[in-house]
Amino acid sequence: MSTHTSAELPGLGQAAFVAVSIQLLSAAFLYLILKAEGGWQVIGLLALLGAGFYLIEKRPQIADVVTASFSRVPVVALITAVAVVLLFPFAVGNNTYVLHLLIVAQLYAVLALALNFQLGSANIPNFATGASYGIGAYVSALLAINFGLSFWLTLPAAAIAATLFGFLIGIPSMRTRDTYLALVTIAFGVVVQQLLNNFTWTGGPNGLVGIPAPSLFGHSFASPLVVFGWKLPSQANFYYLSALLVVVAIITAHRLHSSRIGLAWNALRADEIAARAQGINVAWFKVLAFAVDAFLAAFAGTIYAFYVSYISPDNFTFLVSVTIMTMVIVGGMDNIFGVIVGAFLLTILPEKLRAFSDYRLLFFGIVIIAFLMIRPQGLFPQRIRSYGESR
Amino acid sequence: MSQLLEVNEATMRFGGLVALNAVSFSIGRGEVLAVIGPNGAGKSTLFNVVTGVYRPTSGHVRFDGIEITGHPSHQVVARGVGRTFQTSRLFSDLSVLDNVIIGMHTRTKTGVLGALFLPGASRREMAACVEKAELLLKASSGELFEQRHRPAGTLAQADRRRLEIARALASEPKLLLLDEPSVGMDEVETDALIADIRRLRTERPELSVILIEHDMRVVEAFPDHVMCVDYGSKIAEGDFATVKSDPRVQEAYLGKAAVHA
Repeated sequence: MSTHTSAELPGLGQAAFVAVSIQLLSAAFLYLILKAEGGWQVIGLLALLGAGFYLIEKRPQIADVVTASFSRVPVVALITAVAVVLLFPFAVGNNTYVLHLLIVAQLYAVLALALNFQLGSANIPNFATGASYGIGAYVSALLAINFGLSFWLTLPAAAIAATLFGFLIGIPSMRTRDTYLALVTIAFGVVVQQLLNNFTWTGGPNGLVGIPAPSLFGHSFASPLVVFGWKLPSQANFYYLSALLVVVAIITAHRLHSSRIGLAWNALRADEIAARAQGINVAWFKVLAFAVDAFLAAFAGTIYAFYVSYISPDNFTFLVSVTIMTMVIVGGMDNIFGVIVGAFLLTILPEKLRAFSDYRLLFFGIVIIAFLMIRPQGLFPQRIRSYGESR
Repeated sequence: MSQLLEVNEATMRFGGLVALNAVSFSIGRGEVLAVIGPNGAGKSTLFNVVTGVYRPTSGHVRFDGIEITGHPSHQVVARGVGRTFQTSRLFSDLSVLDNVIIGMHTRTKTGVLGALFLPGASRREMAACVEKAELLLKASSGELFEQRHRPAGTLAQADRRRLEIARALASEPKLLLLDEPSVGMDEVETDALIADIRRLRTERPELSVILIEHDMRVVEAFPDHVMCVDYGSKIAEGDFATVKSDPRVQEAYLGKAAVHA
């Protein structure tokens, strides 16, 4: 029915082969870059990635074949993805550092997906995602420490608190736009961090210590995970938990994107005056984007707090918000998959390129400028919605 | 017989500038009103007052029996006022189809919670929108329908205007405001525009249309009800022949000297 996809559809077998091998190759690439030691190996892998993108840029048919294959065999692709995610810790083995990187990358993927509702879908520059993340972490940590609430109960409580905060920042967004709105959100972020620093009940600059590990059906997340005789380090618990959160974030993003909400956000991104003339309550939809962003960010914050068991205001600085923003810009605005790739790359690379670790802000600055000049649409550009039978 | 739209003594001041000066007019169901006047006469301001973009300094706007003076735009659209813009304001990075579907915003109702927890209902709503949008595009022009998956920004001028109208119709308006639809068009395109508006009227006899126009060929095609605005004031109203021969109108368009020469 739809004529815009490539004319010849790949056969079932071919599609399955392409989908599975692409996913396995990506997993292998992720494994290699996680295991890479020393700058040269990382730079070599990056060069490989760059060559891949160059090839796709020169021959767009490749991308068409890949996307067509994935939509041809969605079940096969899904099963492969689930298997890769489930089995990855077994491949990593006892390397807790790599597991730690993966957990942080997944939490950042959630944060980037949260920000994507604003920056990507609605073009609202929000520099306060780090603050929402922090509010989620602090609310859940305080509830757990002071009232002995379990992790599973603090999760929704933190989300509600952060959503209210989201509405609060959303209110000035009704009256300000663009640069001024960015300034307002920066101010909000700084205010939150300063408050966390100065209140006594938040532990001040020392933060909160001794957040108890969550447990599920009597299994404490602080103890190693044993599956069929395989023993995985305790980080594996949080790896699976954050993977689950990424899935929730993807489903949320996908459902909103393909509903009239996502369209309304896209409309106000393209032209606010025209959006208003279509009957879109522009102010309300902006506030809504702030609320959804804060809601998801709070989930990530809660998992982070329980994972590291110690949080301080330094974990939720302006730099965190800038990092998240960079991930969205690099990955591709309004492209769910791209945003996740951006989050993984920009979590792992600064860790791997230790030489840069003192210049993190500089690194992100250069990356943003480079991308806005060379590839403003990001690694994976936004796609035109398709209303085929496949969805 | 109550009129569909009644504008009563609408005045709009921006600081010292009087953009609209006590303008009153009305339009009934299924009628076409053409608004003419020189550049900067206040025609677009009039549209903005009707659609709630501006709140008039004084005066009243009634639509479909309800006072809508100063109501926010999105509520006015929901009541049944659709509009196009003088310079095309399409959502250029979205597909043609999405542009029309966004036009149905006030006729759909899924909220954030609905989209998250009732994905089936949300999907059915979108599927119904796609179907309706495709019908609207087909009715507009086969050529536009063929291009429905392309970004709206890549369309040719004539198709852009058609898409703007299709998008405005998607909100199922009772009143359609067209702001200089013929701007930047050659003769062939203008003829096609006239044909489009005529077809629209036969397909939707209940639809009222207010047309801001500079091109007298378009106005001539809809000569029953014409209003001329100059310096924010209504200076003439009636059928095209009457308005055209009004000395004040000729003066506004041609200048005093030319009329008296």
